[in-house]
Amino acid sequence: MHFKPKIVLALILVSLFSVSVSQAALEIDRGPIYGLLRKALPFKNLEFAGYLKNETALRISGGFDEFMKEANIAQLETEYKFNDNIQFFSILRWFYDSVFDLENKYDRDPKWESKTNKKVKYPEKLQWLRECYVDVLTERLDLRLGKQQVVWGTADGVRILDIVNPLDYREWTLKDYIDTRIPLWMFNAEGKLLMNGQLQLLLIPDYEPNYYAPSGAPFTLRTVRLGAEAAEKVTTATIDQKPAHDFEHTKIGLRWRNIIEGHAFEYTLNYLHTYDFASSYYLRQPNATANTRRAEQIDVFGGTFSKTITEGVIVPGLAKGWTLRGEFAFIKGGAMNYGKSGAIIPGLGIDGSISGTVDVDQYNYVLGFDKSFFTNWQFSFQFIQMWALNKEKFNKSLYTLLNGATRGPLDKQETILSLMLATDFMHERLKPQILILYGDDNDWRISPKVSYEISDQWLATAGVHIFEGKEIYLNGGQFDKNDQVFLELKYTF
Amino acid sequence: MKKIILWLAAITLIAGYAVAADLSYYEVYKPKAGMTVDEIMQIKYFNKYTLFAHDYESTGDVIFIEKDGSKRNRRFLRQRIMLGRSSDDVSYKDLVMFTQPTSVKGLATLTWNYMKATRDQDVWLWLPSLRKIRKVSAGQADDSFMGGDLTVEEITSRRFTDETYKLAGEEKFKGYTSVYDGKVYHQGEPCYVIECYPKRKPWYYSKRVAYISKNFGGNMLDEIYDANGKFVRTLFRGWVIMNVNGKDYAAQNRVEAYDLRTGHKTVMLFDEIKFDQGLSEDIFTQKTLMRQRW
Repeated sequence: MHFKPKIVLALILVSLFSVSVSQAALEIDRGPIYGLLRKALPFKNLEFAGYLKNETALRISGGFDEFMKEANIAQLETEYKFNDNIQFFSILRWFYDSVFDLENKYDRDPKWESKTNKKVKYPEKLQWLRECYVDVLTERLDLRLGKQQVVWGTADGVRILDIVNPLDYREWTLKDYIDTRIPLWMFNAEGKLLMNGQLQLLLIPDYEPNYYAPSGAPFTLRTVRLGAEAAEKVTTATIDQKPAHDFEHTKIGLRWRNIIEGHAFEYTLNYLHTYDFASSYYLRQPNATANTRRAEQIDVFGGTFSKTITEGVIVPGLAKGWTLRGEFAFIKGGAMNYGKSGAIIPGLGIDGSISGTVDVDQYNYVLGFDKSFFTNWQFSFQFIQMWALNKEKFNKSLYTLLNGATRGPLDKQETILSLMLATDFMHERLKPQILILYGDDNDWRISPKVSYEISDQWLATAGVHIFEGKEIYLNGGQFDKNDQVFLELKYTF
Repeated sequence: MKKIILWLAAITLIAGYAVAADLSYYEVYKPKAGMTVDEIMQIKYFNKYTLFAHDYESTGDVIFIEKDGSKRNRRFLRQRIMLGRSSDDVSYKDLVMFTQPTSVKGLATLTWNYMKATRDQDVWLWLPSLRKIRKVSAGQADDSFMGGDLTVEEITSRRFTDETYKLAGEEKFKGYTSVYDGKVYHQGEPCYVIECYPKRKPWYYSKRVAYISKNFGGNMLDEIYDANGKFVRTLFRGWVIMNVNGKDYAAQNRVEAYDLRTGHKTVMLFDEIKFDQGLSEDIFTQKTLMRQRW
């Protein structure tokens, strides 16, 4: 049965309106779901919260008559306090995206069964346990043991140092990273050495590759699509050589975080010994389509800073109110493919651009500038650069480094600009926001959205994602045909 | 040019510290007969930011009331430590953590406030939904505080040096009828009536008339006039006197703002107010922010 998206869209809007009318008079209230849970689990030290959410997206070029997402999500967060020092926390999330049922054009490729491909085919069955950990909190040392996500860095919308956890690229990077990071089992200790100075140690025996949407999905990366055309049983989640879950392959992270009092200058120094969550593709022999994929061991050295100008720079008042932030990462030991973008394999008629693999060092950084203007308009601008320097030689007159996500040509230096503007109306109930991402290959992503707080429990969001650029480019081009309008309705308890 | 810059910097420093140096931290001040209007207002600001105490803690609710009577609520825990430390210029540190509803639960801010009058706050915002601490610019002074009918400067950042003052008279306060519970507060309280004019022009208000208690130096009511001189808003503060270790501390237990133009109201109610519990400065760090899981 094929539901007409326009009808569903109209029903959602009607339900939104009726909800806004009926719920507008609510005072703070946890609602009936919380009431039922509280009755069922009347433990004094147990606290819980959660949400129910619908996410709907329609393709604009399809005349709003084609679903790109019809997901229903339920999340339950529980916290049990044994005492002030020992606490347990978990997040369970169930979701189902019925877009594959509603639209015949999408397909949960690949069609064969294996452990790896089950993850590709049914991520909802394998990502239900979002977080599950025990906190041991003391005055000097905090321990967090279990499945969790660790966030490093200050950048918005790009990952420079925020690479402790792998990422779920099911919807590219349209969702907040908190919803797309794939949590890992780890040991996380943070000790206080100074009043505002903490040293963090991470030991991560767990490993998961990034999740990439299969080749028949709405947001399939170009490299996945090309890979599936070349070799049906290989996806980018297929890694022949990945680290074992043992002590020898344990990932290690260290972070020193401090605020210099008097100046309120905040900085971190970071080190991460880990494995790339994206596989590196190796040809088994020259000029062959047979290949192997390996998770490269990498070392990341980096740092961040942030500083608000509270008095002025040089002259009192100059640049007052600006917050400056930065983030830098040197990634040693990674690998990238090189080849000819757009090259066609004779006889197969597919893009067979990969000609080889070389070791590459990467230098990535972001500088951010934030300020409020005109009373309540938040402005946030980021200048991002990513440098890739090959450590092994290849014939640059014939080949170029390739972008891992698109197999498009990767310049030695890629520059991205981002701008976010946000404000609020109606006593912060109505919040419009626009995010613009621009890549120096003239590819764009423009994402305006507006959210409305119907009541303490109901939140509605509507927006548009517009992509622009050539297919071979990363930020918007590869999804040039994926412009979509989206609606979200969330009930929290 | 370099000399001019140095002069400017020096004048700013001197002016900033001169104001802060007038009253001593951890002392209780009350208006006295014969005080100038400036002296009364300095006490008012001293009490507003509880600089008489070593530390402060309360829970509370912020209630937004629409014209049709519908309400939204935010519940919070607030902790503050007064330091008055000239070595790093920190006046006090403030921690606000939201505990309800679920949509904002865990959201927390850490604010460092400085003694120097010309220096803005440093603010860190913990976003539990993103597991991220963001250094944010202090809110624009005329921005709405949390979307309510009060401005940021009315709650957190206005200082004695931001306005000029004129004593308009003395009277017994006529009382304030709460827009939340209908009760009348502080009726008959002897007070000074002080006209306050912002130095910054143009600004979102041209004048406010403040009613300051003679007994405890607290600002009970502001009548606020917009840039065109029209009376547009009231801001009421309710006070209780708490005896802490033999000292009488004046503590705000409610704030009510009423916008006469829109009919929208914002009410802040403070419960479980505690002073001088011996809170450690260690609490006022990013570590505390990050312990808020949701």
